[in-house]
Amino acid sequence: MAFQIMLNFFIAFIWMFLSSSFSSSSFVIGFMLGMLMIYIMRNFFPGRLYISRVWALVKLTMLFMKELMLANIQVFMVIIKPKLDMRPAIFAMQTELEHDWEITLLSSLITLTPGTIVVHVSDDSKTLYIHAIDIDDVESAVDSIKNSFEKAIMEVSRS
Amino acid sequence: MKTNDVILKTTAQVVFFIIFLFSIHIFLAGHFAPGGGFVGGLLTSSALVLLLLAYDLKTVQTLLPINYTIMTASGLVLALGTASIGMFLGRPFFKHYFDHFYLPLIGDTELHTAMLFDTGVYLVVVGVTMTIIQSIGGDD
Repeated sequence: MAFQIMLNFFIAFIWMFLSSSFSSSSFVIGFMLGMLMIYIMRNFFPGRLYISRVWALVKLTMLFMKELMLANIQVFMVIIKPKLDMRPAIFAMQTELEHDWEITLLSSLITLTPGTIVVHVSDDSKTLYIHAIDIDDVESAVDSIKNSFEKAIMEVSRS
Repeated sequence: MKTNDVILKTTAQVVFFIIFLFSIHIFLAGHFAPGGGFVGGLLTSSALVLLLLAYDLKTVQTLLPINYTIMTASGLVLALGTASIGMFLGRPFFKHYFDHFYLPLIGDTELHTAMLFDTGVYLVVVGVTMTIIQSIGGDD
């Protein structure tokens, strides 16, 4: 992964030296050529192509935007309801993510989508305690988080 | 009771770089744009204070084994030395000099001895802030 990015930069620099034009445009052209070459040689690298990881990151961003819109509309509906029949709850969610940055990212995404807030991370970083503003069914909420955000983050971090 | 502050620590690791870069930018922008030694120094110490909040005193001291008292003193010496350049050349105290130089990578740059004075201010501000916070915080 990191080696592929380094190699891509190296190819871009070689391209700049070959064409002896040291501008950002020639660097970008060299970078594109390096991407193409790394794609051709994909079977010789251990691990995944870094380009697919970048694509997974883009997909995660798009998913976050979509969830942000939907959840905001949901909370707005809760607010303008004349009858206050929301049911707040704090529930625990087992997570399968291992690295610190993954857990931080997941917690930030959960907190930034309205209606749910991460209030605590357990000492072994395996359980997230989440406060939800209006929840019918804990299982379905856990499932929705697991199937959207956690899966997307795993897609990014899978080596 | 020790809570698991994994979110704070990871976020501090990421944000530290941004604050530190911004502090250097503000410090260098002081001549023609808002900024300067004082604000840059305060921003740098705020980045260090963020690390102090996320981790503890010992960790930060092993990361940056700097004696902040000596840092303050060297900043004062630098400012005073810059101010007294003119005296040795028969000019008034605090006389500043500047000229255009050709630097590699940057090109034509105007270098000014006020920058050295600003570096002195920067060092003094970082040193004093960190000394105050560490002596209040490390009270055990």
